[in-house]
Amino acid sequence: MTSLIASELRKLRTIRGPWLLLAAGPVLVIVGVAGELAGGADLTQPQTASHAVAHAGVVSLLALIFGITAVAGEYRHQTITDTYLATPRRGRVIAAKFTVHTTIGAVFGLLLAVTAVIATALAITANGDSLDLSNRDLWRTLAGGVACNAAFAAIGVSLGALIPNLAAAIATALAWIALVEGLIGELIDDLEPWLPFASGQALGRLPGAPDISQWAGGLLLAGYTVVFAAIALTTSVRRDIT
Amino acid sequence: MRTIQPTPISVHGLTKQFGRLRAVQELTFDVRPGQITGFLGPNGAGKSTTLRMLLGLVRPTAGAALIGGQPYRSLPHPRRTVGAVLETTGAHPGRRARDHLRILAQVTGVPDGRVAEACDQVGLAEAADRRVGGYSLGMRQRLGLAGALLGDPSVLLLDEPANGLDPAGMAWLRGLLRDLADEGRTILLSSHLLSEVAQTVDQVVIINQGRLRFAGPLDDLGDLEASFLRLTDAHQPSLKDLP
Repeated sequence: MTSLIASELRKLRTIRGPWLLLAAGPVLVIVGVAGELAGGADLTQPQTASHAVAHAGVVSLLALIFGITAVAGEYRHQTITDTYLATPRRGRVIAAKFTVHTTIGAVFGLLLAVTAVIATALAITANGDSLDLSNRDLWRTLAGGVACNAAFAAIGVSLGALIPNLAAAIATALAWIALVEGLIGELIDDLEPWLPFASGQALGRLPGAPDISQWAGGLLLAGYTVVFAAIALTTSVRRDIT
Repeated sequence: MRTIQPTPISVHGLTKQFGRLRAVQELTFDVRPGQITGFLGPNGAGKSTTLRMLLGLVRPTAGAALIGGQPYRSLPHPRRTVGAVLETTGAHPGRRARDHLRILAQVTGVPDGRVAEACDQVGLAEAADRRVGGYSLGMRQRLGLAGALLGDPSVLLLDEPANGLDPAGMAWLRGLLRDLADEGRTILLSSHLLSEVAQTVDQVVIINQGRLRFAGPLDDLGDLEASFLRLTDAHQPSLKDLP
């Protein structure tokens, strides 16, 4: 397993695409924080700072796409054949990908959280005020954002394993977030807070999050992550590679 | 010269059903070590599917595909026993060839030093630090072959290995495969280039519509192209049969 994890890390180290994708994260956080605080927001309200740092969670969309490339990217470039020839027990390959991509998702989330705090503090200081670091909501939002990034990276790995066509997997993810979940919510009102993206919103305390607690959101999202992973493992082991 | 563990390939009653399509039907043949065996058949005959079942990439509906008496999935160090280049063996275009081979060396379980050796063996030493995106088809074939040879395997399964090679490249490949077979390795290669096959192989396995048509020495067939066309004549519609 150690050698499989080392191999996954080597795969990531030797291409540029994933890093360019993740490099967009801090930039988007800074833009998001600036947008939140510039538009005449009341900077004396502790809530404002929490909303600003929540952008660390918003950007977990990138972690999701990063995760999708783990398996679907190997199909796209036809390296999956060599990968499975080296390790015919495919479950081990997928498990190594979960380990590596989830860890990188968490580290990415941490980087975003740090960026968000610094950007928020700078913006508030520039306004002649100072960021209240004793605000518990702030830290809970940041912790939720980090967890969101780890979870969505893992969900991405599952999604890419279930839909090995890279473009289709990314399109499905975006359509789900932008469209499908909202439509389901409109059809069945009570269901909306319990859907995967909504639970992520609750965990990351994003603006517009459904009315469930952060803990409930976190547990739900963890549940979804595990269920998707189990489905991805079973289908990957059985799939014919043609 | 290192001693190669003689590793025969044995296909017995192998069948694969994709939905309603019977891609491979009760296929039985053996491939001997120390020889080059050509695996021939028209497009869609089931060659790739058979190779994929031998490699554990496709699950057989029935029958067995064994390498040294074991299914691929049970081999303790699969890439050190079997080297394979399939049509769908690829590399990330943004990755340097040397990095691609290092990744393979790691999962093959051989030291990084093998990468330079394999590059030399296939004539890629000069180009190894370039990104694969800039490679020609012939260079990609060589890269695939280098990956297959990393583990110094006793079996080679090659799907259309001459694809994209220029005449000099084909002559080089022929010599390489002969040397590898003379060391005692088992080599099974599929190809559509019958004149090239006639110069390369010792044994021939011909399939058509998923069924075995011939298995035996090349010399038993006389003219390979004439025999191939006769054995695989699958009621191809001629122009006058069309409405």
